[in-house]
Amino acid sequence: MKRVNLTTLILLLPGFAAFFGLFFYPMLVTVLQSLRPEGQSTGWTLENYVNFLTQPGARQVITLTFVLAVATTLLSILLSVPLALVLREKIRGHRIFRLAILVPITVPGLVGALGLLLFWGSRGWVNLFLVQFIPFIKEPLRFNYTIHGLILFYLWHYFSYTCVTTLATLEGLDRSIEEAASVAGANRWQVLRHIVLPLITPGILAGSVITFMLSFGAFSIPLVTGGNYRPLAVEIYTQIGVPIPPRWSLASAMAVVMAVLQIAFLSVYMRVLRRPIA
Amino acid sequence: MNLARQYLRAVWNGRTLLIYTFLVSFLLFVISPFFMIGLKSVGKNWFGRMWFPPTLTTDWFRWAVEVTRIPEILKNTLVIAVLAVTISTLIGIPSGWAFGRRRVPGKELLMALILLPRMIPPITFALGVARIFYRLDLVDTHLGVALAHVAICAPYAILVLSSTFEGLDERVLEAASVCGANVVRTFFHVTLPMVLPGILSSIIFTFTTSYNEFTLTLMTYGPHTITLPVRTYLAVGEGYWEVSSAMSVILIIPSLLILFGIQRQVAPEKLVGGFKGV
Repeated sequence: MKRVNLTTLILLLPGFAAFFGLFFYPMLVTVLQSLRPEGQSTGWTLENYVNFLTQPGARQVITLTFVLAVATTLLSILLSVPLALVLREKIRGHRIFRLAILVPITVPGLVGALGLLLFWGSRGWVNLFLVQFIPFIKEPLRFNYTIHGLILFYLWHYFSYTCVTTLATLEGLDRSIEEAASVAGANRWQVLRHIVLPLITPGILAGSVITFMLSFGAFSIPLVTGGNYRPLAVEIYTQIGVPIPPRWSLASAMAVVMAVLQIAFLSVYMRVLRRPIA
Repeated sequence: MNLARQYLRAVWNGRTLLIYTFLVSFLLFVISPFFMIGLKSVGKNWFGRMWFPPTLTTDWFRWAVEVTRIPEILKNTLVIAVLAVTISTLIGIPSGWAFGRRRVPGKELLMALILLPRMIPPITFALGVARIFYRLDLVDTHLGVALAHVAICAPYAILVLSSTFEGLDERVLEAASVCGANVVRTFFHVTLPMVLPGILSSIIFTFTTSYNEFTLTLMTYGPHTITLPVRTYLAVGEGYWEVSSAMSVILIIPSLLILFGIQRQVAPEKLVGGFKGV
């Protein structure tokens, strides 16, 4: 291999300076802090990890984070595929619906969270509609500060990533393949099941991995809308915000666990992604 | 059997209706929260089961501007965003050029490394950022908060700009020099107009990221650097829903302007992080 050009190195320097100064070094500080006894900056210990992982609550917190992320990812796929199939046809007014897909990613998460709390709350429009028009619902249903409500809010915030990628992949498909299949005698369902879905699976996965990553690391949404359900990110923040003095070491240990889980899950997901689709 | 067939045919004929029902429910799911925020911010005495507030008022906006010092907070938010965008673009142009147009050994691995801050939950390295910035007295300064934002803005700028520079056609540049343009002329009349849209979209995306950023701001802000997302969070915590809604309306306007702007300019899949076809 040829030696790297000096100019290339100089050009790359700012990017890597930012990476090491603003990401790698802080991450290192977090890891080191997680190995320090609480409230000290010297000495080595593993007790923060032991304390966190043996806590009865720890498994619940990790499970909750995973359940939320997995449910959101699956629902985002279930919503995106039909939506993309319908929007591909460029029906009347499709631009408005396309714009709507982008709304949750451009709007600040907190505003979305506030609006969702109002919309799905006991005096919100959803419950007004249910109570007035659905005969057997007499009392407002509870969505806010519940698990299903949280999943719904996560879906609202993070489905766009799955949806945009699915739609882009679907529109990149060569229509003649489908035509060939239907000329060969496949009905619409068969074309969808055996031609279209396998071809867009890489796109769906590529988008849903972002949805998964973001809902695993979600912070502002569960902070505002979670109530007593606190996924990992909120739990970490609680450790440095609520107790006096703040438990930096415990919070750091939790953060390291979270980062490791995220990376482990990502690498599994990437492996699935690379596998040729049968 | 006959009845079933008739039913199926009716459903088939009503397909357009079904599709629109699906699309409109989707649209309502996405944008109704904003209608509720909008109404809440101008409504008075909106309690109980009412679809719309009984009386309108501008009190909450006046409250937001006078008591919570929105103009000052908006200034903070913009100053921080402009700083973060400038720093990220200055990092992104050279490094993006190196990634896009020069031989870099292990390019894909290095790019994955650069993108790592966007894949790992920000709260994990935000703990480290907070501790480092406390030591360096960067907490509660505009530059400090902006630098924290750069951690996640810079990877984005590098990604978008490297694909822009990669798309630059060598032959056009050659044609320019064959036609007798010198280096400076080529740069200003050929290269710059060709890469400007890419730089612009990088600026828009990093601006949106910084403007919406909450986690990293929460870990590095202070009384002098409260940004709009943080203020909205604090207002929600204080329980003033009407005032929070008014603030959200103010917070949301730039996002919507950007949304309408980019819908025409850039492919939406760029917005989701350029992971298309991983």
